[in-house]
Amino acid sequence: MRKRWILVTTWLLMSAAGQAMAGGGLSSRDTSRLEEGERIYQQYCASCHGSEGEGQPNWERQNAQGELPAPPHGPEGHTWKHSDAMLYGIIAEGWRDPWNKTERLTMPAFEDVLTPAEIRSVVDYLKTLWTPEQRRHQAEESEGAPFPSQSE
Amino acid sequence: MNKIASRFRRALSLTSWVMASLSFVGTAGATEEALPSLSYDQTGERLLKVQANQLFESTDGGAAWTTIPLPDEVAEGRLVSATAEQALYIAGPSIGVQRSTDQGESWHEVDEGLPSQDVTAFTVHRNQPETLYAVVVDDGLYQSEDAGTTWKKMDGGPAQAVRRLVHSDMEGSMQTGWLYAVSDDAVRLSMDCFCGWRPTGELDAGRVYDLAYKLDDPEHVYVATGQGLWRSDNGGQEWQQVKGDGPTLVALTLAPQGTLYALNREGELMRSEDQGQTWTPLDA
Repeated sequence: MRKRWILVTTWLLMSAAGQAMAGGGLSSRDTSRLEEGERIYQQYCASCHGSEGEGQPNWERQNAQGELPAPPHGPEGHTWKHSDAMLYGIIAEGWRDPWNKTERLTMPAFEDVLTPAEIRSVVDYLKTLWTPEQRRHQAEESEGAPFPSQSE
Repeated sequence: MNKIASRFRRALSLTSWVMASLSFVGTAGATEEALPSLSYDQTGERLLKVQANQLFESTDGGAAWTTIPLPDEVAEGRLVSATAEQALYIAGPSIGVQRSTDQGESWHEVDEGLPSQDVTAFTVHRNQPETLYAVVVDDGLYQSEDAGTTWKKMDGGPAQAVRRLVHSDMEGSMQTGWLYAVSDDAVRLSMDCFCGWRPTGELDAGRVYDLAYKLDDPEHVYVATGQGLWRSDNGGQEWQQVKGDGPTLVALTLAPQGTLYALNREGELMRSEDQGQTWTPLDA
C-alpha cells in the first residue's frame, strides 16, 4: 500500500510539473486513472508479470515451449521502449511470439475483458514503474503512435 | 572548432581502442582479425566489398572491381562495414560512422551522437534508409532514425562481442523487423524494439562469421561458419548444414534474384546459384 502511494505521488508530481509548465492544472482524473490502472493490473496482469511488475524468473531466456517468459515492467524490462499505441495493441489484441511452439498466444488478448479506457489506465500505471529518462524515451516514441482515440 | 573536437574525439577513441585491444591480447585477439566483408546494394545494383581497409564496388557481379575513395581517417582505424541504402555508409573502430552521397567523393561524420567512434558493427534498416544501427564497443547498441544526425542508446546488446549486425523485415516482430547479431560463438536476434536478445537455434559449427537472408523471403537465412554454410527456413529457429565441399567463407550476401555471393578469408569472391551447394570463383 505504501509503495502504491509512493508511485502515485511520483506520477502526480511529474504530471504537476509538466502541466504547470504548460500552464494547466492538476487533474484528479490522473489520480483515479492510476488507481484504476493498478487495480486492473493486480487483477489481470500480476499473475504473470508479478505483483510489483518484477516479471517471471529467467524472462530473458526462451523456455521449453520456445517462448520468452513474461518480462518485468520496471526499469530492467523493455516495456518502456514501446509507444502508447503498441502497448495498447499488445494488451488489447495479445501477441504471439513467432518462436512459440504452441498454438496459444504468448500474451493473451484483453479486448473482450477490458474497456479501451481500462487498457489505457493500465498502461498509465505501468509508466509509474519507469525512470524519468525511460518515461521521456517512451513519450518520444508515442509522439507518432499515441493511444487510439476510443481510449480517451 | 568542430573539426578540432572531432580530431580530439578520434584520438581518444583510437587510444581507448588500442588499450582495449592490448588488454584482450591472448583472449580475444582473434576477434580483432580484419576479415573482409560483403554487402549488396539494391539501389545501385552492385556488390560492395571491404578488404584490407579499402572499399570496392562491382556492378557486374564481381567480374571487375572499382575502388571507392575513403576519408583519410580510415587509415587510422579498421573498416568493418560498408552499406548502401540510398546513401553509402562506412563504419569501424576509430572510424565511427561516415556517410557519402556522392560515391565517396566526400564523406561526412554522422556519429556525433555516439559516445565513441569505436563502432564494431553497423547496419541500415531494411525498409527505412534513415534508420541506422551501430554497436559501440563496451557500451551497447545505438539507433538513429534521422540518418545519423541523432542517436539513442537502445540496449546493451548481447553480452558477446558483435561482429556483424543485420536488419531483417521478417514478420512476427512487435515493431518493424528483427536484428541479427553475429558473434564468434553464435547468432542472436532481437525484435527491433529491443525486447531482449535470444540465441537462434542450435548451431554447433565452430566460429560464426556472417549471416545473410533472402530479401524476398526473409525466413530463409544463411550463416557462414568455420564448419561451412548453414541454412534455416524459419528465421534461424533451426539450422541445417548445406551439403557440399565449399571453402570456408567469412562474408556472405544475397542478391535479389537469390544468388549467393561470398568471400573467403583472402577476400576472393565466389558465387552460388544453387543455395550454397556449389561455388564458382569469380575474381580469382
